[in-house]
Formats: sequence, C-alpha cells, structure tokens
Amino acid sequence: MANWGMVIDLDKCVGCQACSLACKAENNVPHGSPHEQKRHHDIYWHKVIAATEGEYPSVNTQIIPMPCMHCDHPPCVNVCPSKATYKRSDGIVMQNFRRCIGCRYCIVACPYGARNFNFKDQVDEEYQRPDLPEDLGLSNEGHIGPWPYPHRTRGVVEKCTYCFHRVDQALENGEEVGSKLDGHHGVLPACVEACPTEARYFGDLDEPESAVSKLLASRTYIKLREEMATSPKTTYLPR
Amino acid sequence: MSQAATDKPGSPEPKRSNGFRISRRAFLGVSGAAAAVVLAVVLALKRPKLAEPVETQTDSVVAKQDLIPTSCLNCPTRCAILVRKVETTAGKTKVVKISGNSASTYSEGKCCSRSHVGLQVLYNPDRFPHPLVRKAGTEKGRAVDYDNDFEEEDWGGALDRIAERLTSPDKLLILQGLNTTSNEDLIRRFALAYGTQNLFDEEGLETAADRKGKMLADGRSDSGYEMVSEDGTSTKYILAFSSGIVESERPLARNLRLWGKLRRELPNKTKVVSFDPRYSVTASRADEWLPINPGSEGALAMAIAHVILSEGLHDADFTNDHTEGFNGYSTLARTQRFSPESVSEISGVPADTIRRVAREFAQSKPAVAWSGEAATSWPYGTLASHAIYCLNALVGSIDVPGGIVYQQQPPYAAMPTEGLAITDTGITFREMADLLREGAIDTAIGFNSNLIMSVPESKEDGKWDKVLKNLFYVHIGPARSEMAAYADIILPACTYLEDWGYESAIPGSGYAEARIKQPVIEPRDGSRPTARILFDLATRTPLSAPLSPIESNSEAFAEDFAKYRTAPLMGWDDFKDSGVWKGSSYSYRNFAFGTDSGKFEFHSDHLERLLNVGLPGEGTDYPLKLAIYRPVLEIRSGSQNFPWAQEMYLVMHGRGWRNLVEINRETAHEHGIGEGDELVIESTYGEIEGEARVLEGMRPGVVTIATGQGHFASGRFADGMGMNPNDVIGTEYDEESGQPSFFATRVSIRKA
Repeated sequence: MANWGMVIDLDKCVGCQACSLACKAENNVPHGSPHEQKRHHDIYWHKVIAATEGEYPSVNTQIIPMPCMHCDHPPCVNVCPSKATYKRSDGIVMQNFRRCIGCRYCIVACPYGARNFNFKDQVDEEYQRPDLPEDLGLSNEGHIGPWPYPHRTRGVVEKCTYCFHRVDQALENGEEVGSKLDGHHGVLPACVEACPTEARYFGDLDEPESAVSKLLASRTYIKLREEMATSPKTTYLPR
Repeated sequence: MSQAATDKPGSPEPKRSNGFRISRRAFLGVSGAAAAVVLAVVLALKRPKLAEPVETQTDSVVAKQDLIPTSCLNCPTRCAILVRKVETTAGKTKVVKISGNSASTYSEGKCCSRSHVGLQVLYNPDRFPHPLVRKAGTEKGRAVDYDNDFEEEDWGGALDRIAERLTSPDKLLILQGLNTTSNEDLIRRFALAYGTQNLFDEEGLETAADRKGKMLADGRSDSGYEMVSEDGTSTKYILAFSSGIVESERPLARNLRLWGKLRRELPNKTKVVSFDPRYSVTASRADEWLPINPGSEGALAMAIAHVILSEGLHDADFTNDHTEGFNGYSTLARTQRFSPESVSEISGVPADTIRRVAREFAQSKPAVAWSGEAATSWPYGTLASHAIYCLNALVGSIDVPGGIVYQQQPPYAAMPTEGLAITDTGITFREMADLLREGAIDTAIGFNSNLIMSVPESKEDGKWDKVLKNLFYVHIGPARSEMAAYADIILPACTYLEDWGYESAIPGSGYAEARIKQPVIEPRDGSRPTARILFDLATRTPLSAPLSPIESNSEAFAEDFAKYRTAPLMGWDDFKDSGVWKGSSYSYRNFAFGTDSGKFEFHSDHLERLLNVGLPGEGTDYPLKLAIYRPVLEIRSGSQNFPWAQEMYLVMHGRGWRNLVEINRETAHEHGIGEGDELVIESTYGEIEGEARVLEGMRPGVVTIATGQGHFASGRFADGMGMNPNDVIGTEYDEESGQPSFFATRVSIRKA
C-alpha cells in the first residue's frame, strides 16, 4: 500500500492560485460571497496564505499553499465522535458525509485550518458537475460512503482528499500515479497537475525512487506545526 | 435554566407563579426531549433532500466526454488549453474543467490561474441573451438599468440600425479590447475596407510607451524576453524594473513555468533583483527587493549604464559591430548627473548597491533588464523604456539564447489587399482623445472594449463619462460590462469558448506558435461569433471591398476564415485535434533590426528628462504618490463577474471581493491611519473611498491600489466591490507614444 504525500517547493511557488482554482473546479467546491468571506463561511479545500515578517525595507513574505496536511496522526480523526473522518491505509484522511453530524470538533482540532463547514445548499446550478458519478463503485479498501460532490450536502464538514478519486481510478485502471522528476508525470491531484511553476509534487513517500522521496532526501524541508506531533504528509521545501 | 439552577437541596424554594414544580433532572430531561424534537423537525424541514440526491444523481451518469483543444482569452497571452466537456445520460451538456494543453511548448503545457476562470466566463449569469437597443430618453453610464433601459431586437434589425450609422468613415471610431487574434485581424480589415483610420487598440493603454521605447532602439515591435531557450540556455540574471514578471507581465503562463525552471530545475539558479516601490509578488519571490521612488526606474537604468561604461564592463563586440549612437550615449551616461551617487538621491537606492547590481548584471551572461508597466507609464515613459532596454544591448543580450528574441509569426494565408479603402489604420490614445474632444467622432463600435474602466479620469461626470454619453455607441461583447452601460446598441458576441479562430503566440519564445479556437459548445443564447457579426455588418454597409478573402456565408464565415488563414500551417482536422501548430526553431544572432541604420540605435536625446522624478513628500497638498498594479486574478477581458477570481483576488493580503489602499506603516502612522480604516483618497481630479491596508512592504510616501475592481455595470459578482483607482488619476501623456501616464498622480489620504 502506498503512503501518499505531497511536497511543495516554496522557492518555485508564486502564489498564482491556479491550485486553488483547479481544486474548486475539480471538486465542485462552491464559491463564496463578500458576506461569507467576512464571516469565514466560504469554503476552500485548498487556499494560499501569505505570512509576512520583518520591517521595511527588510520584509519577507512567505506564500504558502495550504491543502490538507493528511497527517499521519490526524487530530481531527481523534476528536470525531461519529467516526465520520478517518485515515485510509494509504494515508489519505477522508470525510464521510453520511456519518458527519456537523459538530465541527474536527475544525477546532485541526491546527492547519484545512477543514470547512458547509453552511449552504449549492445554489448555482451552473457549476454542478453531472460528470461525477454518485459512487465510484471502487473496491479500494477503506472507501465507504457516497461520492458526494455532484450535489453538496449542507451541514457537514468538507476537506481536501488529495483527489482520491483520481488516485483510486488510476490504480483501478493500472495507471501510474505521482510526479516524476523528468516531467513525465503519472496521474496527479488537480492542484499538482495545474501548478504552472511545477512547484508541487505528489507521490508515494514509502517508495525511495519517487519524486517526493528524492526531493525530501536532497533538500531541507519543513513541516508545519511539527511541535503538535501531527506528522503532516504535506511537506514544504523552503526557499 | 436559571430557575432549575437555583433548585437545589437546602436552597429556599423558588417562587413560582403557576405552582408548577419541576426538578433539575426532570427539566433537563424535558428540555432535552423538546430540543431533540425541534432538531428533528428542523432537520426534517431543512434537509428534505437527504436521501434524494442519490436517486437524482443516478440520472446524471456520463454518457460521453470530450477533451477539446482550444485557447484561452482571459489575458493577452492566449494559452493553448484543453476543455473537458461531458454529456450525461440525462441529456445535459456541461463544460466542467479547463487545463493546459501539453502540445503547446510555449508554456510547456501549463496555463495560469486565469484560464480556470473560463468556466465562469462561459456560464456568466449576466450574459446578454439577445441584441438590445436602447430606449429613447434613458440615461447612459452609471445609472444604467439593463432590464428597463433596453428593448430586445432581432439580429437583422440591430445590424441594419448600425449599418445606417456607417456613412462617414472619418466619424467612426473603432475600439478594440481583448480579442482573438483572428478577430483582431478581421476588425483591422473591417477598418481598412471601410476606410477609417480611427482604430484604437486598448492594449496600447498599457504597452504603447514600453513598445515605443524599444522600437526607438531596434525598430522592432516584437521583442520579448526568452528566459529559457529551446536548448536549455537560461537567463542568469534578471533585473526587474517595477515589473510583475509572475503577476501581470505577459506572457504570464510562460513566465510562471519558466520561473519554476529558473529557480530550481536548472543547474545554476537565476538571480532576480527587483526594483519596485511595492513589495510585489515578484519582488517577494526575487532574491532581492530594492524599494525605489516611483518613476525613478529610467534614472536607475542610466546609473547602471554609468557604472558598466565607466568600468568598461560592456560587451564591446556587440556595441562595436551592431550599434549606432553608442559614443553619444556613453558620454551622456558617464556624466556626473547619472552617477550612482546622484541617482541614489532620486531613487532611494544606495550608491553602493547600484554599483554592485550593475557589476553583477554585466558579469552574469546572459542577463536581461525587464521594464514593467509601472516603469514606463510616465510622461517620459518612452525614454524610460529606451534607457532600460539599452542595458540589454550594453551586456550583449540582444538576439542571443536566454536574452531578447524577436517573435516569429505563423505563415498565415495572405489576405488580398485589392480594393481596400486605405492601407493603414490605428491611432494612439492621445490622437483618440483629441478626436473626441474636437467632436470629430459621432459613432463608435467597441469590440470587447473596456475603455471607461481603463482610462484616466474614468470617474462619473469626468471627461470620458461625458464623451461616451455623447457618442452613438455600439457594444459588441458577451456579457454586461461598463462599456455596455454606455451603449445604444448591444450585440451579444459569443465568448472565446464558443468561437472559431486562431491565436498567435506573443513575444517570448522566439519560435512561432499558433493555437486554434474552436467552439466547445454552441454559442449560448443565440450569441454570435464576432467574425459573423463583422461579415453581416460588411454586407450591409456600402463598403468598397468585401471583408471576406474567400467565398463564404454568414453562418460559416467564422470557421471558414480560420480554416483559410491557417491552411498553410497544417490540415484543418489535424489542427482541430492537436490545437497547436509550432514553427521551426528560432535562429539567433540575425541582428535584423528595423531601424534606418539597420543597427541597434542608442538614443541620447532628452534622456536627462529621466532625472525629473517628482518625489513623494510633504509641503504639497497632495504629498503621496499613487501607483496602480494588476493582480494575477484581474481577468483582462474587462469583466470581473467571476466569483472564483473575486474571492481570491489579493493573494498577498488574503482578501477577496475588493481592492485595498495599500500604504507603508510609517506613512499610515503619520496620517493617523490604522489597518482597516475607511479612507478617502483625493487628487486634483476627484475622490474615491477604500479600505486601508497598512503594511511593511511599501516605500514610504507611496499609495498603491490594485486595478480591476470598482465595477458598476458588470453584474452581480463585480458591481460595487472595491474602487477604480483610475477615477482619481489624471491624464498626462507620454510625449512619444501618446500613452497616458498612470503613475504620475499625487494624492492625499484621510479617514472617511
């Protein structure tokens, strides 16, 4: 079983937001409104944040793309009273909307702000995705619950899935998954595929020959909030 | 709960008016049960669809899906894209995803964030459903009410009305916003056939001065920064003069892809130094940010030339063999006034730093000096552009791998010129402004025009507002926009995802690349391709020459024209399948300059004007300098009615749905302004209001505001959000190119 992880090169990233937009399109994530943004009710499975330090003229802004960290020890899973969020054996932290009771403990527990509560029914017919089947019908171990994205469920918590549907389908079809350093990539999550600077890499952390393993072996890397012992599998290569 | 809380052993019995006794346990039990009932009711009422979607979804199974190659048009880069379209068993067709096309080597199969917004361009809820004609007596401009001010008209009737107005070529103005290359070719041909000189390309508002300054030097209008050549040679040093290379500078997707390469994929990392008043995304990603006074870019370029020439670091082979006017330029640059010490006072960059950067720049080959819009949108913009461009020649970066290259064009089929009324068309911004002021124009046709949002003094009752209200204006574009608010007739052109055409790669790669435009779906709501509209208009107007170079008819013309023009490239079906045609590899060192001397010309006349930089400072009524910038998610087609782009608008500030008044912390403190305050920004031309953003990454004395907001007639996701900084910017022209100088306006700020 693979151990999926993502590596993001902060030296290449320029904060263009192609990742966030590709994610919205791929996963049918609804757009927000000014009012929702003010109240932090708008949904992003992926967002790009900017953190600035220093004083003029010695300023430094880090632009940090934030998908789910898919922690090895996910605090969201620990606190979920209904076992709606769980870690698959390939390391992807999932959310089962059928089980979710909307208590939002996991949102509080997540140190990365990776989780969103869905406050509304999707109103914009235009952006629905009729192409997404209601269930992938995959036998892949650990996959339970409906495939929810064509129509969204109000009152549940949503999050990034590392585009598990792409990964699972590729494995079913016997396709390769993950980034390659020579540019001939296998199937990738939407955000990784869309990145115009190729700052993002996806692959099997347990496979020493994968692009992600090689990058982590060759450069210093950081994991966000390591002190919380979450062991994130989304890793950053600093500038 | 307070009653139950006091009901504990030993406490005095609480006073109860109705004598009803209840224990804490019973109360909790009852209230819990009641809450459960309420919750169940609420859930039952509010979530009636809990089980339903699964059933409805079973109808929506993909029957067929296609990946259609076409090209983007959300900015002038026009990247090749693949569009995923699905048809469900329920008979619904939906365009669901846009991604890059790997057949395009120009940006290595990548597209930027703007491309993804294409879905919302196509499904924009505020598109025009049919041609509209303004009712008599209704008010144009900000007061527009699309639902009541216009009445529906059929296509034939609307076109007839326009044709009636086309009686005098001198009185017609054609405004060209962002259009497909093939449509641009047709618009130009329409102007030539009809015989009007008055064609204004709105791209000139941003690039005219920059292009003119470069043309002065090499006589070419197609120079670009290659960055990485096909053989892998990369630029080693980039000197960015207020240039948003990874934010707004075209060709954006190519810049982004190559930025990734330059930073980490090649053996030697490229050094990037950014001179910019603002800590832009590019400055923050660069190795060094050197904050400068706005407008001092040209002077800085001369100071760098001063150091290079004084220390003999220039590429003497190139300057001896391929240049003209070098001695005069060299003498001028080496004068005391362009010394690092003198320019340091103007620019705010320490003299030692200027020296160090100049040496690094001259000694890392190939190196390029990249001028941005903020460096050249000044009254002396052409000179600034020329001064910066000359640095490339000094270090021999002209027509070499990784340096400046000249873009080749795809060999499209020729269009016959016999019978055209005139042979050349096109006017500068200044010429257009003069014509309108003199009242020489009575009718205007705008193709995706965005004029009122992008000119200086764009405010209500401003110069342009009045001019546009007095014109008979025909707006051709897919959706609501500010220009449509001034229209007498609106013709709904289809979006780029429903259109036929071809696109040429813009300067950057050297080698030519053409991309197809083909409809992903049939034009929605009966909108029509721009080509068809022009064809129909041409057949109705007594023109001296036909628009079409081929036999065709109204309905088939858009496709026929694209097919005819691209026939020399490759077979039409192959082109439709791959979406991209690529020309042969670029050959370097041709030095084919278009100047009179046939050489690269250094001009030294008037360059001392670059030293007349107005510094921010107290002692005037307007102590601050206002600068604008274009964030990556400003969709360049003029509309911003796209919620995905709106909600992520300012990545550096984590804010969307607005723009902000960005000021340095010290400056804000001096004016008693705090983060989030509502401000009034005032110039001699007017006032706007906006929210303060106090930050460290800004030169003191400078205020910057992102463009792209402040819409008033674009639709539900754009109107009333943020402000348009152009409202308070004054019209001053660049002498040579007639481009307005957007950065020369002084402002004051105060709390609202």
